[in-house]
Amino acid sequence: MFRAFALSLTVMTMPAFAETVEIDTYIGAAEVTVQPDRIAVFDIAALDTLDALGIEVDGVVSPLSVDYVSDTAEGADPVGTLFEPDYEAIAAGGYDLLIAGGRSSRVVPELSEVASTIDMTIWEDTVGQGLARLNAYGEIFGKQDEAAALQVTFEDALDAAKAAVADEGSALIVMTNGPTVSAYGANGRFGWLHTALEIPEAVEAVEQATHGEAISFEFIRDANPDVLIVIDRAAAIGQEGDAAAMTLDNVLVHETAAWSNDKVIYLNSANVYIANGGMQSMTQIVSQFATKFAD
Amino acid sequence: MIRWYWAGVLALALLSFLSIFVGVIDLSLRGLWRDPEALRLIGISRFPRTIAAVIAGATLAIAGCVMQMLVRNRFVEPMTAGTGQGAALGILIVTIFAPQASIFLKMVLASGTALVASLGFLEIVRRLPPTQPLLVPLVGLVYGGIIGAGVVFVAYQADLLQFISVWLNGEFSGVLRGRYELLWLAAAGAALTYFAADQFAIVGMGRAVTTSLGLNYKQVVLVGLVAISLISSLTVVTVGIIPFVGLVVPNIISRLFGDNLRQTLPLVAMMGAGLTLASDIAGRLIRFPFEVPVGTVLGVVGAVIFLRLLYRTPRYA
Repeated sequence: MFRAFALSLTVMTMPAFAETVEIDTYIGAAEVTVQPDRIAVFDIAALDTLDALGIEVDGVVSPLSVDYVSDTAEGADPVGTLFEPDYEAIAAGGYDLLIAGGRSSRVVPELSEVASTIDMTIWEDTVGQGLARLNAYGEIFGKQDEAAALQVTFEDALDAAKAAVADEGSALIVMTNGPTVSAYGANGRFGWLHTALEIPEAVEAVEQATHGEAISFEFIRDANPDVLIVIDRAAAIGQEGDAAAMTLDNVLVHETAAWSNDKVIYLNSANVYIANGGMQSMTQIVSQFATKFAD
Repeated sequence: MIRWYWAGVLALALLSFLSIFVGVIDLSLRGLWRDPEALRLIGISRFPRTIAAVIAGATLAIAGCVMQMLVRNRFVEPMTAGTGQGAALGILIVTIFAPQASIFLKMVLASGTALVASLGFLEIVRRLPPTQPLLVPLVGLVYGGIIGAGVVFVAYQADLLQFISVWLNGEFSGVLRGRYELLWLAAAGAALTYFAADQFAIVGMGRAVTTSLGLNYKQVVLVGLVAISLISSLTVVTVGIIPFVGLVVPNIISRLFGDNLRQTLPLVAMMGAGLTLASDIAGRLIRFPFEVPVGTVLGVVGAVIFLRLLYRTPRYA
């Protein structure tokens, strides 16, 4: 009842043709009906931002991989996994809008046949696209003020982090995976840590690669970064950073400036990897930098 | 024969020398004797990596050779018998229940589960009709597939699928002093098989021949399979799954020199070591200063060699 009332209010206060709004998606501009009644979400970064905006979700994929969105996802119906949507459930759910992106972006054509779908992938420019998605959700759900507030919160956190790391020197982003390590550069999927936080790269030759470049511990010692940014692939379970610290705890890494000055920062892999570009994910990560490098 | 031994030793020495001097940190031969830093680096990183490649390659080739004798099938290797999946299961269990355990301890525990998985395979094989040797590799594939499916299911639920697959992908980039020593056990296991070389060669001629020559067929097979399981499980958890070495090398040696294992096992070991070491050096150089996993290099090289072997089939072995 209230929702219907609110909806009619919105419709009345806007010109008659403005029942749709034009937003930016990954594959270009799209017309989306505002205030969709039932939505299903197929991307964790999208769920992260919707959760931050306080928008209710009626269908969601599982597993979620990040824990802070579980309250939003709790009452929602299951609609499959990130890689394999459950089309039966989606068709039966009667959704007005499907939000896909990232890992589910390749099934956007199939999803579009079931219901109106937008591809909200965040990829090349994590921060820019993350904020663009935030504002798009604000437009669609009539939460422009909340979106603006979240953007301010994030930008404040980013500024604080930037100030904290400003004089820390160069950094190397590595992901640990069991006993081995790979490196990521400023153009890779975690490159925004370099560009947004304005941290110079300790090694500039790391190419743009989705899964990083396999490296040896000699590489880390030779690069000798002042800051070592560690993404712990095994942190999905257990204490974050534990397994990664074990992998890096060796004579060669001990000789780097980062290790000897205790400038090794461990990021939760689910945050930075699965929900990359979500507002809460990004805000948490930059806050972690601000805390770690606060003097 | 002696000529070939020397050729093998020489090639291996050359490759080891190369391996010690190829790496991200500069190391010059000239400064070596005056520079304690350089010697330290060799001790920490280069020597362990070189010796790990040598041991892994040699032992995998030997394990493949012995297994091919035991099941009398030229296209079998231990990785197709559940050992790799058993190791994956162990790594998964220890990562979930004891993420705080050190890497070395994780390796020890995973070797345990790999060994248990291999012994399980052995129990199944003992119940198979001995008249159908092809059943052994087939059952091995099914058995490994079942364990593997369980691993994938749990890993998927715990979001550890990529973690497991990267851990098991054969590579030496993580090898340092303190992270590879289990391989010495594998080396000891492989050395022990040499003492039973004659028995394995006889078992390769079939159960009837073995029994009529006065050998306990079951016992020899059991000893062989335990050795194989031990070697492959230790290799898998220390450096990952290295494909084709156990398959290709025994085939090549067998075609060139026949199946007198007492004579050919050293050649098998040297060729396996050389192939693995060469692939690792190539992997370090192709995208320097980054690395291409040895498993990937061997996947390509090994596949080509394997296809050549399949198409040129002088089946006299």
